[in-house]
Amino acid sequence: MRYHLGMAYTIEAQNLVKTFTVNESGKGLLGAVKALFSTKKRIVHAVENVSFGIRQGEFVGYVGENGAGKSTTIKILTGILVPTGGVARVNGVVPYENRRDNSKNIGVVFGQRTQLWWDLPVRESFEILRVIYRVSKGDFDAMMARLTKGLGLDGLMEMPVRKLSLGQRMRCDIAASLVHRPTVLFLDEPTIGLDVLAKENIRSFLRELNGKDGTTIILTTHDMNDIEQLCKRLIILDKGRVIHDGPTEELKKRFPHDKIIEVDFESELASLPLVPELEPIRREGKKMWLRHAHDSSGLALAIGKLASLYPVKDLSVREPSVEIIIRSIYEKTAALPGYAPVEKAAK
Amino acid sequence: MNLAVFGKFAAVSFQKEITYRFDYFMAVLNGFLYIFVFTALWRALYAQGAGAGGFSAAGITAYAIMAMAIRISFSMDDTTIAIKVRDGSIATDLIRPVSFFMMNMAQCAGFSAFHTLARGVPILIFSIFLFKVDIPFTARGTALGLLSLVMGYLILFMLNYLFGLIAFWIIEVFPFQLMKYGLLNLLGGSVIPVDLFPASMKPFLALLPFQHIFYTPAAILIGHATPERALVMLTEQAAWVGIMGAASLLFWNAAKSRLVIQGG
Repeated sequence: MRYHLGMAYTIEAQNLVKTFTVNESGKGLLGAVKALFSTKKRIVHAVENVSFGIRQGEFVGYVGENGAGKSTTIKILTGILVPTGGVARVNGVVPYENRRDNSKNIGVVFGQRTQLWWDLPVRESFEILRVIYRVSKGDFDAMMARLTKGLGLDGLMEMPVRKLSLGQRMRCDIAASLVHRPTVLFLDEPTIGLDVLAKENIRSFLRELNGKDGTTIILTTHDMNDIEQLCKRLIILDKGRVIHDGPTEELKKRFPHDKIIEVDFESELASLPLVPELEPIRREGKKMWLRHAHDSSGLALAIGKLASLYPVKDLSVREPSVEIIIRSIYEKTAALPGYAPVEKAAK
Repeated sequence: MNLAVFGKFAAVSFQKEITYRFDYFMAVLNGFLYIFVFTALWRALYAQGAGAGGFSAAGITAYAIMAMAIRISFSMDDTTIAIKVRDGSIATDLIRPVSFFMMNMAQCAGFSAFHTLARGVPILIFSIFLFKVDIPFTARGTALGLLSLVMGYLILFMLNYLFGLIAFWIIEVFPFQLMKYGLLNLLGGSVIPVDLFPASMKPFLALLPFQHIFYTPAAILIGHATPERALVMLTEQAAWVGIMGAASLLFWNAAKSRLVIQGG
C-alpha cells in the first residue's frame, strides 16, 4: 500500500507478527507445577502481518475494533513487547532490541493506565521524570510552563495522582509523556472515558503539538471525532492485519455518491431490509441509519418509498462520516444478515 | 542507570514506606518478639551444654541477634514484579529509559534502607544492651562484615528478582514464593546457623546461595568466622553474586519475549 522499503520513515513496521502462547495454568501448587511441564497451550494471533511507514510530522490514526491488534503494535513500537516475526524501527532504532535508547526519543500514553506515581503529588512525578530523562532544569521549566498552559494543569500540581479525576489525570499523563520533548508520541486511547470538553482540550493541544513542533503522533482511538479532527492519515486494522491505509480525506472520497439517511421512526421496526435501495448500517432504538449507495438521482425516489411504507417521524440526509465508512470497510467481509451486525454496531 | 536516577527511585520507595506508620510499629514489635523467642530458645538449649557448632551460649545469642537484625534490615517487597505483570502496569516501567533490573534494585534499596534505619539498627543496638551481648568489633572484621552484608543483600535481591520473573511464565507465583520462603528460612541462617547442620548436608548447602544471605554476614560481623574462614566465605559469596547476576540477565532476556500485557 503506502509502504515502500528503503524510504526514510520515522516509524516503520515490516511484516510484524505477534503470537502469544498462553499457558493454561491449573489451580494451587500442584496445578502451578504441572503447568511448568504441561503442553496445554492456547495460541493467540494478535498481529498477523502488519506493515506501514510513517514520516516525521505525520498525525496517524490507528484504528480497529477491540482485539484487532492496535495496542499490541503500539507495545512493539515502544519496546515493551518483542514481536514473533518481522521488524520494527522507530527513528532507526529497533525498539525491542534497544528499548532504553528508543524510549529516550518517544513519548507514550496509555489511556487505560497511568504512568504517574499514584501516591505522590503530580509535581513529584514530573520531577522524577526530569531526573530519569536527564532533562536540564532550564529545559524542564520551559517545557512545564508550556504544558501547564496548554493542558490546563494549574491547580493540579500539588494534588496526589490518586485524587485526580479521569480527565485531569489524562491531561497530566499526556504532559508526563512530553517532559523530555520526544519527537514521536504514541497515544493509546488517550480520550477513553472523557467528556466532550476534556476531549476538546486534549485535541487542540495535540493539534498544536503536531503543527508547531512537528511531533510525529500515532493515535489509537475508538472516537471517530478524534480521527476526523486530528488524523490526516488513517490505518485500519482488522484481526491483526492492515485492511486500509491512506489519507482520511481520501477515505471520504471513496464513496463519493453515497448518502447516509438518518431516520427517526414512530415505533421500532421489526423487519429488514426496508427498501432494497437503502442499506441499513446502524440502529439505535427507533433511530436508524441507512446508506444509499447508488447515484443520487434515485435518492428521492427511495426516500419516498420508505416514507410511504413506514411511519417516518423525522429524516435527514448526510455525507457519510468516517465512522460509517470505516464500518462499511469492516463489514465488507461480513454482510448484514438481518439485525445481527446492526445490533453489534449500535454500541 | 546513573546515581541520580538510582537515588530518585530509592528515595521514592523510602518515602512510601514512611507513610505506613501502623505497619512500622507492628514490624518493630514483631522484630523484638523474634529476638526474644530465639535468644530464649538458644540460651535454654546451650544451658544444657555449650559448644555445638562452635558457639558458646553468649556466642549463639550474639549470632541470633545479629542474624535477626540483618534479616529485618534486608526487608524487601518481593511481590512487586508479580503484581506488575499480573495487572499489566509493567508496561509503564518499560517505557522508561532505565534497566528493569536496576530500577527494581533501586526501589528495593530504598525500601530496605528504611527498614535498616528505622528497625534493623535500633533493634540491634537495643538488643546488644538488653542481652549484654559482647561483639568484638574490629576494624577489619567490620569492614569485611559490611562487604559481606552488601553481597548478601545482592544475593537476596537477585533471588527475589529471579522468583519474581517466574510471573512472566506463570501468573500464579505464590506457590513458588512459599517454596522460596521455606528454603530461605531453613537454609539462610536467620533462624539456624549453618554450623548446626549435619556434616552430610554441607555439600548440598554449598550448591545453593542461601547460606550467603544471612549466615555469612552475621558470622563475620560477630567474629564467629575466623579471619581465614571469612575470606573463603567472602570469595564464595562473590562467586554467587556473579552467578546470580548472570542468571538474572539470561532469565530477563528469556522473560521479556514471553511478556503478555494484561488488560490491554
